[in-house]
Amino acid sequence: MKTMFKTTVAAGALLASAAHAEGDLNIYAWSDSIAPELITAFADEYDVNVSVDGFNSNEDLLTKLQAGTSGYDLVTPSQHFLKIMADQGLLEDISASEMPAFAQVADQWRGQWWDPDSAYSIPLAYGTAGFSVNRDQYDGAVDSWSAFFEPDDKLAGKIASLNYPDEVIGAAQLYLGVEFCSEDATEMKKVYDLLAAQKPDVAVYASDNIENRLGSGEVAAHFWWDGNSMRTRMDGAPVEFAMPKEGLVGWIDSMVVPAGAANVDNAKAFMNFISEPENATIQYNYYAHSSPVQLVMEDAKYTPENAPELFPDVPVEFSRTCSPAAQDLVTKVWTQLLQ
Amino acid sequence: MKDFRFWGLLPAHLLMMCTLIVPILIIIAVSVSTRGAYGGFEFEFSTDAYRQILFNEGWSGEMEFNPQYLFIIARTAVLAGLATLICMVLAFPVAYWITLQSAQMRTLLLFMVTLPFWVSMIVRVYAWLIILGNDGVIESALRATGLVEDMDTLLFNNGAMLVGMVYSYIPLMILPVYASIEKLDRALIEASHDLYGSRMTTLRRVILPLCWPGLGAGAILVFVPCLGTVLEPILLGGGKIMMMGNLIQMQFGGARNWPFGAAIAITLMCLVMGVLIVNGLRAMRQAQLKAESI
Repeated sequence: MKTMFKTTVAAGALLASAAHAEGDLNIYAWSDSIAPELITAFADEYDVNVSVDGFNSNEDLLTKLQAGTSGYDLVTPSQHFLKIMADQGLLEDISASEMPAFAQVADQWRGQWWDPDSAYSIPLAYGTAGFSVNRDQYDGAVDSWSAFFEPDDKLAGKIASLNYPDEVIGAAQLYLGVEFCSEDATEMKKVYDLLAAQKPDVAVYASDNIENRLGSGEVAAHFWWDGNSMRTRMDGAPVEFAMPKEGLVGWIDSMVVPAGAANVDNAKAFMNFISEPENATIQYNYYAHSSPVQLVMEDAKYTPENAPELFPDVPVEFSRTCSPAAQDLVTKVWTQLLQ
Repeated sequence: MKDFRFWGLLPAHLLMMCTLIVPILIIIAVSVSTRGAYGGFEFEFSTDAYRQILFNEGWSGEMEFNPQYLFIIARTAVLAGLATLICMVLAFPVAYWITLQSAQMRTLLLFMVTLPFWVSMIVRVYAWLIILGNDGVIESALRATGLVEDMDTLLFNNGAMLVGMVYSYIPLMILPVYASIEKLDRALIEASHDLYGSRMTTLRRVILPLCWPGLGAGAILVFVPCLGTVLEPILLGGGKIMMMGNLIQMQFGGARNWPFGAAIAITLMCLVMGVLIVNGLRAMRQAQLKAESI
């Protein structure tokens, strides 16, 4: 009876302390993209209840924001979707350039086309999309996208691609020399022909569980992201992230506040918090994608020596925001591919 | 009295109105709106979305009849129909066998049939990845018996998708079929045998006709969710072909064409309503025949 009483009191105290928190912060970020220890540290230091939900595609995030009040205070779209959100008035102007976090951002990521006035966003992470091979399964050269899109006999039937068009079509465009967001139907027909010819050799179009599928050798090549491939390699799987001479597809995710969010101040406090060099380093070591803000270099786990994936020596072309006409062509390619 | 029947049910009517009718009206409204350039929609009447189901701009830039969406709709209907048929064939003997057990055993068995519903759909479909996958349960078993040495994956084709659909929805077939077999008057089976009806004849002319209502109800409960299936094509079908569910999802996501997505959703709903209406008419006719024969 006594223990029960104690437990009740403890639970009551816990509830009370939760109720006394300064407020809430609801984050909607790429799944597993924010270091859990930073969430806990922030919640303790600022006395805020933090909840984190994960999304797996920019499209999901955009649809959610367009559908109306999402209930989130901080979300992390990639550059080409951030631009749509800003243009559509879906984001809160937080005067990002005046925030302490902005001082930490490297020059090259300031005032870029997706947020020219640095009003809405503080960048969180950047990287590339390409493809990886399992070296136990395939020993051929991977210095060109041709290995992936026009596979030889060894790779045929053992290729996996993503199940949405965004970056895959970008990569095909790099290989063919077609402009990103091309509105030229004859050019995009070439992209379709390339992907349609590749399809019989593709085992599966899937964006989940990639570590397992490639690491276990179920497939020999997989469309993938730099940091994820690196982490899997460091865990001991024989995977290699290809450096195709035609280039890689670039992305940069930024923290923004949806218009009408309830806890704007907490969201801004979190942006400042995670951009402090020590915290940014913890985040970098956890997420394993390049950091656009200042790090404590001696604590950074990944260096050009041990993590060549993060330091590509081939051109990187960032995805752009396509016009409706260009996006329709992308959709047409993908629909015909899977019809 | 009649007043009370109306007012007493008002909460139910309101609930149906707010959670079923209004959302459907919204979807209809979206389907006849103009698409927003970057997703969303604008309230401006347009039937473009419906025209797009049949006519599309070809690669040369000219509008042409393009059956690609019809293919996807037809494929969805065929696969859903097949899944329903397989469910019927598998569920009937299972349900029949359950009715033959003791009362206690029946309760337990029915509970076991519904058990999978306590587990998330995604987890259940994922389980099939492990069963059918490389080094999965089936492959390991076949290898252990020495029947095969190396085999292609069983995953990522229409068959795997079908297996997933049948597995996901077969409880919805077993339960109504069980209910209809349980009500069956055993004396009729004996009577059939007394009249020299063989087992096959008894099944065909006595048992099955009496169980049609259960099979029909089960067929609808399985066919309708199969039409809207999204997970199985992605996980088990390997994302290589689209079903209507995936097509709709894509329009609201990457394709940024909400009105078209809504138009396909409405088409899907009309398909479902068509099935229900045909079924309802048949049931009515049967009831009529029955009334006449008495």
